[in-house]
Amino acid sequence: MTLQELYQEIGGDYEQALRVLRMDKLLDKHIRKFTKNGVVEAMLDAGASMDPTAMFETSHALKGVSSNLGLTGIADAATVITEDFRPGSERKLSDAEIQAKLREVGELYRTTSEAIRRYEEA
Amino acid sequence: MIQPDQIQRPKLILVVDDQEMNRDILGVILGDDYELIYAENGEEALAQMRTHAERLSLVLLDLVMPVMSGFEVMEAARNDPQLRHIPVIVLTAEKSAELEALQMGAADFITKPLDVTEVVLARVGRIIELSEGRQLISAAEYDRLTLLYTRSFFFEYASRLFHFYPETRRDAVVVNIEQFHSINALSGREFGDKVLRLIGDELRSFLSETDGIASRFEADRFDVYCAQQPDYHVLLNRLQESVNRLLPGVSIHLRMGVMPWREGVEPVALFDRAQAACSMLRGDYQNPLMIYDEKMYEKELLNQRLLNDLRPAVDERQFRVFYQPKYDIRCDPPRLSSAEALIRWNHPELGMISPGSFIPLFEGNGLIGVVDAFVWEEAARQIAAWRDKYGFLLPVSVNLSRSDVFDPTLTDRLVKLIETNGLDFKSFKLEVTESAYTDNARELLEVIHNLRERGFEIEMDDFGSGYSSLNMLSDMPIDVLKMDMKFIRNIETSETDRRLVSLILDIAAYLDVSVVAEGVETEGQLAFLREGRCDLVQGYYFSRPLPPEEFEKLIEREIAIERSKTT
Repeated sequence: MTLQELYQEIGGDYEQALRVLRMDKLLDKHIRKFTKNGVVEAMLDAGASMDPTAMFETSHALKGVSSNLGLTGIADAATVITEDFRPGSERKLSDAEIQAKLREVGELYRTTSEAIRRYEEA
Repeated sequence: MIQPDQIQRPKLILVVDDQEMNRDILGVILGDDYELIYAENGEEALAQMRTHAERLSLVLLDLVMPVMSGFEVMEAARNDPQLRHIPVIVLTAEKSAELEALQMGAADFITKPLDVTEVVLARVGRIIELSEGRQLISAAEYDRLTLLYTRSFFFEYASRLFHFYPETRRDAVVVNIEQFHSINALSGREFGDKVLRLIGDELRSFLSETDGIASRFEADRFDVYCAQQPDYHVLLNRLQESVNRLLPGVSIHLRMGVMPWREGVEPVALFDRAQAACSMLRGDYQNPLMIYDEKMYEKELLNQRLLNDLRPAVDERQFRVFYQPKYDIRCDPPRLSSAEALIRWNHPELGMISPGSFIPLFEGNGLIGVVDAFVWEEAARQIAAWRDKYGFLLPVSVNLSRSDVFDPTLTDRLVKLIETNGLDFKSFKLEVTESAYTDNARELLEVIHNLRERGFEIEMDDFGSGYSSLNMLSDMPIDVLKMDMKFIRNIETSETDRRLVSLILDIAAYLDVSVVAEGVETEGQLAFLREGRCDLVQGYYFSRPLPPEEFEKLIEREIAIERSKTT
């Protein structure tokens, strides 16, 4: 499986990822790291306690990483959560809506991780 | 020529981001053009900034990070004098953070994701350039040693103060260290720098209490432009006491010149006068402070006017040469023997100006040669005219100033004068002042030798006025010694002066040189000199300096006496 095939499978924006990371080599390095760097798990853990600071910091980190990698579905959900928990601004979503977003991220992350694993094994 | 980029190390940038991916991305974008170091959080970033404070050209700073945020890093850097000069570009994905970052002192921001390489490179390059420019300006603004303004910035700011706040009366103060080069030579440059730093500290402390600015103008000169002080001794004493405390046993003397505010006078002109006042104190350890006053101002204006008027005065023949006779007192009655040519300036507006007003001025400005050349030409022409009229050569002596002595064309110019006017070398005598010997003995001796070889006679002028040494008399091949008039003035009242005059006359007799006594005004003085076997006498007793037409009466009287003797 090539990188482009991987991106097709996970519905990511390969062109965007390559624009940011400049070269396949770097994209390859960081897409492999995505399943190991713990950013998604950290946000899902924060979702359990709904601690606003942890929610903001972890969703912010995930938003940056997934945007760079062109993982648009995860990036969009992380952006919504980040903005909802941005310090100084009033929350617009209910906890239930946030939990739904977290589930959405969890699902996207599961399919993305499986595809990455197959990419690594190929 | 070596280009600046050949002697510069690559510029160092600190990349601060908790995401390895962002650090990698910036590494790829900037790695070819810059040397990069990295930090993963704010704490690491501050540590890196402190380690590389001198070299860091830029910090690229993420805002949201664990341990310490980018905002906290900026806050800490802003409060740290060692770090506050390092420019920061904030990396942010949030529009809302941009304003806050700029308000915190960020130089610029780059939005994430970092997908346009050219934007990143352009912003990084521009901010580094701006920051370096600002640092260069800052380095040029302050003197590194004293942290006072440098000369050019000081005068720019003084001029602004003068124009923006014309109602405030500010004085110009110049402070100098007496013999600073000797302090450096004796105690070392490091100690000298310490003295300068101390004065800088004290001036800054003074200006924290008083409205004003200060500069290290150059070397050991400090300029202060401050609100009028009731007594400048207070500031001078404050500075003097601070250097006195530095090292017991090392004597450091400060001097201060002050030019008080004057309506409409720009700071540059004020400081010229403060400096003039300060210079007048050079070597005067009793009076370390001088306030430039009206009298000095008028003198300065007059001096400037005389300097401006010199060349037109020569062209328009405002100068005249007067002649004061020298009488041979070995004969009875004394005989007119020769004369000294003396310059007089009849200014069309100022009237007759005393030579004492313009000769020292022209000597100081190197213009005396113009006056001397005029006198030489006039005197040579006059000797020739009297020869033609009376049939004999009446010797006339002219003055050689110090600057003439060191003119390499001197001998040729004088020889040409003699030849053009058909004179005898012995009829055109040259008076060299004693102090020229102490200035540069070896060169002077060489010039005197050359002139004597050509046939000129040399008179040593003002003997005894300075630090005469007997050594000089044995070295210098002179024909006539002119005793300074201050000895003669008191010989009727001072036993010491009488003895000194006798001693000089004895030495001259022993060395076989003639002696001329200047400034003889009384019968008693003449009698004493005659008794002491002085050869020639010049002074008001016989005649004041006269214009040529009046001097001719003396010549004619002399001729008449001679004729009466023969008939």
